Order: sequence, then C-alpha cells, then structure tokens
Amino acid sequence: MKENIKKTEEITKLKKRSQLVTRLMQSKFFVIGLIVCALIVILSVIAPFIVVHDSKLPSLANSLQPPQYFSKGWSGNILGADNLGRDVLTRLLIGSRYSFIISVSTVFCAIVFGVFLGLMSGYYGGWLDNLIMRFADIQLSIPQLLLAIAIVSVLGPSIPNLIIVLTITTWPQIARLIRSSVLVVREMEFISASKVLGANDLWIMFSQILPNVMTPLLILGSQQIGFIILVEAALSFLGLGVQPPTPSWGVMIADGRDYISTAPWVVLAPGIALMITVLAFNFLGDGLRDALDPKMKT
Amino acid sequence: MRKYIIKRILLCFLVLFGVSVISFGILHLTPGDPARLLLPDGSSQQEINELREKLGLNRPVQVQYLIYMRGAIKGDLGNSLYFKKPNLDLIKERIPATLILTSAAVFGSLLFSLPLGIIAGVKQGTFIDLFAMLFALLGQAMSPVWLGILMIFIFSVKLRILPSFGYGSIQALIMPAVTLGLPLAALVTRLARAGTIDVLSEDYILAIRAKGIGEKKIITRYVLKNVLIPITTVVGLQFAVFMGGAVVTENIFSWPGIGKLAISAIYGRDFPLVQAIMLVVATFFVSINLLVDIVYTLLDPRLKFN
Repeated sequence: MKENIKKTEEITKLKKRSQLVTRLMQSKFFVIGLIVCALIVILSVIAPFIVVHDSKLPSLANSLQPPQYFSKGWSGNILGADNLGRDVLTRLLIGSRYSFIISVSTVFCAIVFGVFLGLMSGYYGGWLDNLIMRFADIQLSIPQLLLAIAIVSVLGPSIPNLIIVLTITTWPQIARLIRSSVLVVREMEFISASKVLGANDLWIMFSQILPNVMTPLLILGSQQIGFIILVEAALSFLGLGVQPPTPSWGVMIADGRDYISTAPWVVLAPGIALMITVLAFNFLGDGLRDALDPKMKT
Repeated sequence: MRKYIIKRILLCFLVLFGVSVISFGILHLTPGDPARLLLPDGSSQQEINELREKLGLNRPVQVQYLIYMRGAIKGDLGNSLYFKKPNLDLIKERIPATLILTSAAVFGSLLFSLPLGIIAGVKQGTFIDLFAMLFALLGQAMSPVWLGILMIFIFSVKLRILPSFGYGSIQALIMPAVTLGLPLAALVTRLARAGTIDVLSEDYILAIRAKGIGEKKIITRYVLKNVLIPITTVVGLQFAVFMGGAVVTENIFSWPGIGKLAISAIYGRDFPLVQAIMLVVATFFVSINLLVDIVYTLLDPRLKFN
C-alpha cells in the first residue's frame, strides 16, 4: 500500500515537471531567450581561452583600425580596433565577463538579503515588518542610479563596491515581492497544520513557505539580471563603474564616444552587444513568466 | 480615506528623515578632512583648525546633523566647494532644464504609446499589434547609454539633421527626450495593450454593446479610463525617476540639468553639493510618489473603501 502511494507521488512529480518543461518549450520567447543567453554566457566563459589579442594592452600603430571582418582570418581585428589599438572583439568578450559577474553576483546577493528580510517581514509581521518595510521605502525613494552614483563616489569604484552598491539598490524590490507572497501563503491551512504539529518557525519559513514563493522570485530575478547589466553599463559609462583599462561595455561606449564620426565601430559593437544581451534576458524572463504564471501576462 | 492620506504623509516625513541622514552621512563618510578640502593646498594647520572651528566640524556628528537640518528647513543647504555659491541656488538654476526634458520625454512617450497600445489591443493580431509588441520588446532593452549614442550616430553624424548637444531649441530637445522616453513608451504600450484586451473581454462591455453604444465611445470612455489607472502610477513613478535619474541622458547630450550638475559635483568631489542634490531629488521623488498615490486612490473608485 505504502509503495503504491509513493509510486503515485513520484509519477505525479514527474508529470508536473514534464508539463512545466513542455510549457516552457512552447513559449517561443523562452526558447529564443534561452538559446541566446546560453550562447552569450558560454562565450563569456570561454572568452579568455579563445581571444587572440590582449584586451588591455594599447598598440598605437593599430589605432582606429576599421573592422577587417574575416579578411585576415581569426588573427586580424575582426571588429576593428579602438583609439588605443586594442581589438574591439576581444574587449567585447572580456567585457561581457565583467558584466555577468557583476550582475549575477548582485542579483544573487540581493535575493539572499531580500528573501531573508521578506520572509521575516511577511511571516512575523508587527514591528519587524514595519521596520524592514520602512527601510525599503527609504531606499526606494532615492532614484536607483543616483544612490548608486553617490555611494560609489564615497567608496570608490571597484568591482566589489559596485556589487555592494547595486545590491543595496535592488534588495527592496525582492523583499517586497517575497513579503506579499508570504502574506498570502501564511494563511494557508498546511501552515497552520505544521504549527500545530510543532514545527519551529524557521523550518516553516524555509521548507514550506519558500518553495511556494519561488515563482514570482524567479521571474523577477531573471528580469533583474538584464536590468542590472544596463545599470552597470550606465555607471561604467559615467566613469563610476569598472575603470579603464579594464574593458566593460559601458567603458567601451564612453571611450568610443569621441570617435563616433570617424570610427563608429568602437561604439556600435558594445552597444549592439548590450542591446542583444538585455533583449535575450528579457525574453528569458518573459518566457518564464508566461510559462509559470500566465495570469501576469501583459 | 483621510486616515490613509495622513498615514502616507507621515511616512513621507519618515522617509525624508532617512534620506537626509544618508545624504548627510555621505559627506562625513568620505575620507579626508572637509576643512582641508575647502582650503587651498599649503594652508597651515592653524588655518585648517580655524576653519574647522568655524564650520562646527569639531562638534559631535549628531549636533552637526541637527545644525545642517535646521539650515536645510530654512533653505540653506550649504555652499558648493567648487562653485562657491549656495547649493540651493545652483540647483534652482538647473531644475528648469531637467523639468523641460522630463516633461517632453513623458509627454512625448504618452502621446505615442497610449494610442498605439490601445489600438493594438483593439485590433489584436493585425500589423499594428505586431508592431506594438515589437516596439515594446525592443524599447525596453534600449538603455539611454546605447540609445543616445545610436541616435547621435544616425541623426547627427550620418544624416546631419539634428544637433547632438545644445539647449534652447526644439531640435536640441528631440533626441534627449526620445532617448529618455523610449523605454517608458515601450512599457506604456505594453500596459495599454494588455489593459485594453482585459477591459474589452469583460462582460459589461458586451452588455454595453448590446445596448447599442458605438465602438468609439466604448474605447474612449470605458477602455481609456480603466487603462489609465495603472499607467498613471507607472508614469508618475517614472517622472520622479527621471527628475533624479536623467543623469546619463543629460551627460550624453550635455543637457544643463540637475543630472549633469550631480555628475560634475561627484567628479569634482564637491560633496556638499552632492548632498544637497540628493536631498532635493529625494524630496521631489517622495512628493511625486505621494501625489501619485493620492491620485491613484481618487481614480479608482474601488480603492475608496479600503
């Protein structure tokens, strides 16, 4: 008898999972987004191994070389060179690593903070809820970019500082989202049942409530990655993010600004890369949302 | 309802308090002695000490904060290190420029995207719908960093029909306003389209149609009103964000607004100015949010009873 119940449970789980995968695969957005994102991520991971030129070393003889595409095979400047003679494609690939490291770390940290605080806030309510939400409100009342700029100007622009700053500006949204989901799940009967059975609060929060609030979190998380990449690019563009000579798409766009009429490839390459990457992540997020929670569809 | 408004206003004060602490803290967290920064290099230690005494820098931090806030309420936000003028004056000079840019961006986006979204919702599946969806998707990925530069490339460099910087003429306003407003237009198109589809599928629309009321009236009266509710919130929020965050756009187009002032203040380590700007921008932000909240409760009769 017990084995039958277990078997039915397992089959139901498998069915649910394959249903989910089917729904995901049905969404064209998701598939396209997934493929492009995967491509970009793979490229950025293997970048140091496949680049032929140095991403930081200037080579003034090569300055402002127009794109040679494949005329010289793989060893020429496929997408041209910037004003210091550095290969654009190389910098593009290496720069993507920084964009990803910063945005993924930020979203990860923001999720850790946001989920913890959101759970506490939603589950316990009362003064703790008030306190945490007031902090969140104060955060949200300063425009994100301005706050990031102000803090970076104090702490100095370095990658860990960037991650700290961006986490600070991102956690409130996540906390709010988790909190509102928790408020709904908290009232459900299985939670009361667990309480009656003597489960302690932490266990309830992490093993029972958390899995049920994952869906909106996943959607928000994937949207945020794209958004943070843009914010990092903006900060780097303003000179407050990744510092030259380290390549980052924002820095490349800022550097290339002066040469836009004579050497547009210096600016166009990182700009297009930025656009495609953010689009891909948006598609991914939209597809996830369509598959996981069609009610939120717009 | 009134209780809600009072609560919200109190919340605003709390938030502004928090913001003032943060912006005050920034000046005092910076490494280096503020007095030393103010005086020219090579001043004697005694001169530095005298200035410290005069500025009250030797008093405990809490007292300094209170002195600062007392001044702030009266309108004295300190003086800029670089410009050697009162901060508030500097900010007041630049606000009109940012206001013009923000208004143009918001107004322009709404003018374009609201009709587009509604029409797309009404004529689902047609070319316009497809166009609107594409526009919404692409628009959201175009950050000012990229879009601004792209527009300069196309319209200033290649086509030579629009100036890439300048202030005062309509031509100079077009590109910055579009750069700033495009992501908003994309978002509003999406919301308008979704809202339209939702409303048109409601039962009461069927009832109204059965009564014989024309399509046009349905759209302008019922669809528009319902669609405007979430859009007002979004637009209000974005307006506030623009006021403080048009930093990148102003930088790209050399638009003389608050954003550009903030950046030069930060580059120049002019911390009193940075502090003042943060406080002013946050105040704007909070006030506009409050306004939006109140308008939102007025617009949606369903909320009146909560």
